[in-house]
Amino acid sequence: MWSFYFSQLTDSIPFFLKGLWMTFKISGISLVLGTVLGFCVGIARASKVKPLRYILYVYVDFMRGTPYLVQIFIVFFILPEWGIQLAAFPAAIFSLTLYAGAYICEIVAGGIEAVDAGQTEAAMATGLNRFQRMRYVVMPQAMRTILPPLVGQYVLLIKDSSIVSVIGLTDITRVGWLTVQRIPEGIMVFGLVGILYFSICYPLILLSNWFERRLRAQGG
Amino acid sequence: MIRFEKVNKWFGKHHVLQDIDFHVAAGDVAVICGPSGSGKSTLIRCINRLEPIQSGDIVVDGMSLTDRKTNITRLRAEVGFVFQQFNLYPHMTALENVILAPLKVRKMNRNEADELGRELLEKVGIQEKALAYPAQLSGGQQQRVAIARGLAMRPKIMLFDEPTSALDPEMINEVLDVMRKLAFEGMTMAVVTHEMGFAREVANNMVFMDEGKIIETGDPEQFYTHPENERTRLFLSKILSH
Repeated sequence: MWSFYFSQLTDSIPFFLKGLWMTFKISGISLVLGTVLGFCVGIARASKVKPLRYILYVYVDFMRGTPYLVQIFIVFFILPEWGIQLAAFPAAIFSLTLYAGAYICEIVAGGIEAVDAGQTEAAMATGLNRFQRMRYVVMPQAMRTILPPLVGQYVLLIKDSSIVSVIGLTDITRVGWLTVQRIPEGIMVFGLVGILYFSICYPLILLSNWFERRLRAQGG
Repeated sequence: MIRFEKVNKWFGKHHVLQDIDFHVAAGDVAVICGPSGSGKSTLIRCINRLEPIQSGDIVVDGMSLTDRKTNITRLRAEVGFVFQQFNLYPHMTALENVILAPLKVRKMNRNEADELGRELLEKVGIQEKALAYPAQLSGGQQQRVAIARGLAMRPKIMLFDEPTSALDPEMINEVLDVMRKLAFEGMTMAVVTHEMGFAREVANNMVFMDEGKIIETGDPEQFYTHPENERTRLFLSKILSH
């Protein structure tokens, strides 16, 4: 029986690869957009404009204080009531970007704050403007502290993207749910699902560890 | 060149600068000393607005710091600043530290900037370390790179905030030598330091501060041999005894 299911499962491989591609697309696009958003918001939060800072705190705290599942429900089921109708794919990208952006913002703001204030002062004293100070002096140093948790955040993002299956997108997780209805060998089906996630995440975990070690070797 | 007019500054409730009137003429070297917490570092940091002031005015090279029309970034480019902790950019070589501002602010081309950078590093005596990173340099070498960086914008004024306090004793002189050279070349300088030998040699104007006020000013010889104020005398006897 088991080998029968196994051969059925191997027949389903193309279906799994399609799911893998969907997961890859969704997490990849939101990862890029979320990174851009997170850096913009993180840098803005390091600025001294008070009202802007408070607005950003509200955004970040809201995103971090509510489950992603609830957020995607709001985007996909509640926003249409207010006339904002998004198809499943853009809704997933939109919500996942906002979600990742909030966490990345925290990481970026933390990295910027970890750079010694004397660095900014030195750059200021030589006449560099705000943008130049950020671009040439602060960010290159902040990046060293930002990279390990940033890549770690990418891993979380890829795993959290499994939640988009609830709005009908056929990512790896949903492929698993659909397949297990035909092949009632859960451990085998979801074992494969797990392996596929792991095969994307593990290289990133290694990369994050490598950044971490490099950071420590340079004396933090 | 630098003029303080009735300058007041508070950190919260703490009145760190109280009615400061102070003047450095072009080509002069002013040395500011005083016990820690007296406001001397704050005073010098106000000159290029690393610290804002709450009342009074500071005029630097004809530009008022409180005038809204003053372009503060441009003013800072005219004033070199050397920090106690060097504050070199750790991710750049000595040469890159020196030429960052000329490249980005003055939009100098790379060759010209390199030439300028090497010339300045030679001036402070470490041309051979141009491609070393700050972590590979001794404290004295780092501070000399920092001086070269301060000079890179061809400033009219150089400010030094306790430039030798973070150095091991054997490295102090190499930094003071560079500063002496600058002073003899006629650079306008304001220096916060306790290096009294240096002060006696190059200062035109001594300033003693305590508790946010300027207690005494005068020419160095007068200042050392016949200080007028009791507090100045006490302070000098403490630092000159070691």
